[in-house]
Amino acid sequence: MDFIGAYAPDHLTFLLKGFWVTLKVAFISIILSFIIGAIVGTLRYAAIPIVSRVLAVVVETIRNLPLLLIIFFTYFALPEIGINLEITYAAIAALTVFESAMLSEVIRSGLKSIEKGQIEAARSSGLTYVQTLQHIVMPQALKRMVPPIVSQFISLLKDTSLAVVIALPDLMHNGQIIYAQKDSYIIPIFLIVAIMYFIVNYCLSQIARRLEVKRA
Amino acid sequence: MLKKKKVFKLAFISLMAAMLLAACGSGDKETSGGNKEEKNALEQIKDRDKIVIGVKHDTRLFGLKNPSTGEVEGFDIDISKQLAKEILGDEKKIEFKEVTSKTRIPLLNNGDIDAIVATMTITEERKKEVDFTDVYFEAGQSLLVKKGSKIKGIEDLGKGTKVLATKGSTSTMNIREKAPDTQVLEFENYAEAFTALKTKKGDALTTDDAILYGMAAEDPSYELVGGTFTEEPYGIAVKKGNTELVKALNDALKSTRDSGKYDEIQNKWIKK
Repeated sequence: MDFIGAYAPDHLTFLLKGFWVTLKVAFISIILSFIIGAIVGTLRYAAIPIVSRVLAVVVETIRNLPLLLIIFFTYFALPEIGINLEITYAAIAALTVFESAMLSEVIRSGLKSIEKGQIEAARSSGLTYVQTLQHIVMPQALKRMVPPIVSQFISLLKDTSLAVVIALPDLMHNGQIIYAQKDSYIIPIFLIVAIMYFIVNYCLSQIARRLEVKRA
Repeated sequence: MLKKKKVFKLAFISLMAAMLLAACGSGDKETSGGNKEEKNALEQIKDRDKIVIGVKHDTRLFGLKNPSTGEVEGFDIDISKQLAKEILGDEKKIEFKEVTSKTRIPLLNNGDIDAIVATMTITEERKKEVDFTDVYFEAGQSLLVKKGSKIKGIEDLGKGTKVLATKGSTSTMNIREKAPDTQVLEFENYAEAFTALKTKKGDALTTDDAILYGMAAEDPSYELVGGTFTEEPYGIAVKKGNTELVKALNDALKSTRDSGKYDEIQNKWIKK
């Protein structure tokens, strides 16, 4: 084990570059998948005849496929139909598709957890369907959804490392290149990569805890 | 009243749908155009005055990224630079893209790279998918073991032994064929396979001798045994049907050999 060699300043900068890619890809995917997930989840909750049925099939299909397969698909199969995405965009697209499906389920079940009685009360007091959703269901559901949504974000951030298979230059990938220089670097690099992932994910879960406390 | 509610509901849904579409659009940004001109590959390279080569970033001696400089270094890299020099007149008119054993052929066929110079063995199977140039490096598969190991060659790999190899490489297929009783464990890259050998996850590590010499040089308690048991001729791969490009690359390889530059590069990287 060569800690001093492995943690040379150049290596650390190289790792941080990879970390930046990880954060960038994760951040964009989180935003996109939250928007799409929220829309899909709400539409499924609203039980609109055909739309909800179609979305259910799509979500179930995606949710039951391994993310790795979806990454391969966006990178290798889409070019066959004329959509050639760069590595970063292919990774973002794959993560967004997969996490949107996961988040839509979190959001749908969050909405569903609000008791029917409340909706009935709101409707009979003259609120429209949309108003009921907006003022009665959403605010309460959101509070319940925060913890599972954040843990979904955390797994998204960790899942970016799967894009190593298409050579996305993320934290894991750059770590691999460093320990390819010298085998005695392998454990020190694993250690620091683990610390980096831990720090950012721990921050995320702490933020989630704050949100929970505030809203409670 | 009922009608009004329905209109609201519809408006709400269509708004959501529009947002969904917009979000999808930004997620699937198309970066490079799908329809490539049907010009021959050599002319395309000359037109843009740059050749794009797929190389490995994690393979010591052949293509390894240096974290300090950000440059990729190795035998494959130096050979590629020579090819750019021969074809375009300047070794700087080159762009390297990272490939792995799994991504290199799809990237070539998608047109993301012009050629693969990435420790790629010429095989009949691969010839169906890509066109190869002449051999640019003669490797042979061998075994790396801890000094004093009871394994002295491929014939010792019987039942109950474990061999470590890397995924997507010809060495995995070769070892399964030549030593069918041994158990093969596959790893993502050479560094991981070597670490697995060191932590005794297997009895021997198999891949091309040139790469094994690099490992043995780094840790002298390991040695190569049994010589080579296959021939692994490395070739440069281009998209199928690009005869002009294959010819240009072959000419470039030949003059690199003739000028003595080839031996210089080989001596720089490959130490037996």
